[in-house]
Amino acid sequence: MVVVLPVLSGLVYATLYSFGIVGILNEGFTLENWSGILSGKSFWTSLFFSFYVAVTSILISLVLSLSMALSWKKALQNGILSTVIYLPLCFPGTVMAFFMFQMLSKSGFLSRLGFEAGLIQDLTIFPELINDAYGIGIIITSVLLITPFFVILFTNLYRSEQIENYKALASTFGASKSQLLRRVTLPILLKKSSVSIYLFIIFVMGSYEVPLLLGRQSPQMISVATLQKIQRYNLYDIPKGFAMSILYVLIIVLVLVLLYWRNRAFFNSNQTS
Amino acid sequence: MMKKILQYGLIISIGFPVLFLLMLSIGRRWPYPALFPLEMSFSNWEFLQQSDSKLFQAFFISLGISLSVAFIVTSIGFLISKFIAYSKQRNTFLVLAYIPYLLSPVIMAVIFQYYFIITGLAGSFFGVIIAQFLIAFPFGIIIYDNFWNSQLKSIEELSYTLGGTRIQTYRKVLLPLSKNAIMLCFFQVFLVSWFEYGLTNLIGSGKVRTLTVSVFNFVTEANIFYAALSCCLLILPPMLLLYINKRFIFFVEKTNQ
Repeated sequence: MVVVLPVLSGLVYATLYSFGIVGILNEGFTLENWSGILSGKSFWTSLFFSFYVAVTSILISLVLSLSMALSWKKALQNGILSTVIYLPLCFPGTVMAFFMFQMLSKSGFLSRLGFEAGLIQDLTIFPELINDAYGIGIIITSVLLITPFFVILFTNLYRSEQIENYKALASTFGASKSQLLRRVTLPILLKKSSVSIYLFIIFVMGSYEVPLLLGRQSPQMISVATLQKIQRYNLYDIPKGFAMSILYVLIIVLVLVLLYWRNRAFFNSNQTS
Repeated sequence: MMKKILQYGLIISIGFPVLFLLMLSIGRRWPYPALFPLEMSFSNWEFLQQSDSKLFQAFFISLGISLSVAFIVTSIGFLISKFIAYSKQRNTFLVLAYIPYLLSPVIMAVIFQYYFIITGLAGSFFGVIIAQFLIAFPFGIIIYDNFWNSQLKSIEELSYTLGGTRIQTYRKVLLPLSKNAIMLCFFQVFLVSWFEYGLTNLIGSGKVRTLTVSVFNFVTEANIFYAALSCCLLILPPMLLLYINKRFIFFVEKTNQ
């Protein structure tokens, strides 16, 4: 109740505002804001752009982290890498976004390196890697932020699920290296981490700091788009901003309920964090 | 051999951002296409000796907010998570706890900002602490949820059977056993609060200038050297916590195994 009550009260206020019942310049009940959001392009473009960025980032992170966790098992459990891999967890999105901005922008470090190496003759030739239409900068930054989490997750799962024993058993039945990977290791790791992967997708979809610094005006990720509507000088946009935030909350709650419905064991067992 | 080279490459690339940000934090002029700043001095870091400097204040405001949020969530979360973990509606509470944790904090801030404005909490230090508490508290519940299990419940019941009072059971049994869980929750919540920008900026109305807010302000002012300095200050405490975590908690867990 400590948290749910203020959030529910906030949702009630936001709903009333979006229907024109309360708020500055509102003149009474109207469906105009909602129909504008539901039939317009801006909300859905932001939602799909957020989804595309999140899914792409997670897929790239999964490939990288699985490769590292499975190829460097010993180093990740005992060597210096077992400590160093925790270091990126100290980087908040704000810092990583600023770092990537200084690395990937047209006047950034990579562009300067390219100039020194004679690969480019002018900074305008350097490819647009940030504030670009495809969210490349956001995706690269998200991948760098997420991959260490997945490496640690898969390394721990590999050990706790005793995958080595399953592999030994499958080997005695004549399984090849490729079959061990495709039929034993990957299915166990991906199945056990599936809920965490889905939760990470939702988490990246809602990220704010990274797209704020590395994204562009259009398309925008959902958090940035919503906040811009609320904070704009045009007061007529505020109800639309509230409608967008309510719609996003409803979508996330629906996805969470579906996740819970299909993965009750995850919430019942002691692996929720 | 190739494996080793790749591993060392990864280690270097993980350390590179820290070195790069440190380099920028002591830089002055960095025109294109110079690889490194033309002037380097520690004058930017002199803020440490000036208590009236913006960065000095931002550092301590961030520290104050994060320590307060971490302390409140760790203490209240410890008590409430126990009731939730042993409750029949545990799963319902847990799913509800995931909502603020998964929703973007800034969207949450948009939703309850109105109440902060009418209560006069917007733009205040305490307002930011309360807003961050609303985000971090469910996170604390999720962290503690793993800790309360049937074995711990049996030990607690044994203490009552042997005549221990509720206070004695908490002081002599539960708290010593939960030292690691409490530390873990404190560290994690501290980091959630320390890293937070969107919600802090919205509820703080730009008046509560934390380090993350400072980074964005410096970026807007095109002062990349001070932004880099703020970034260095942002990653220092987490690194210290990581060291403590690896050195002590991890060590205790390993010796207990």
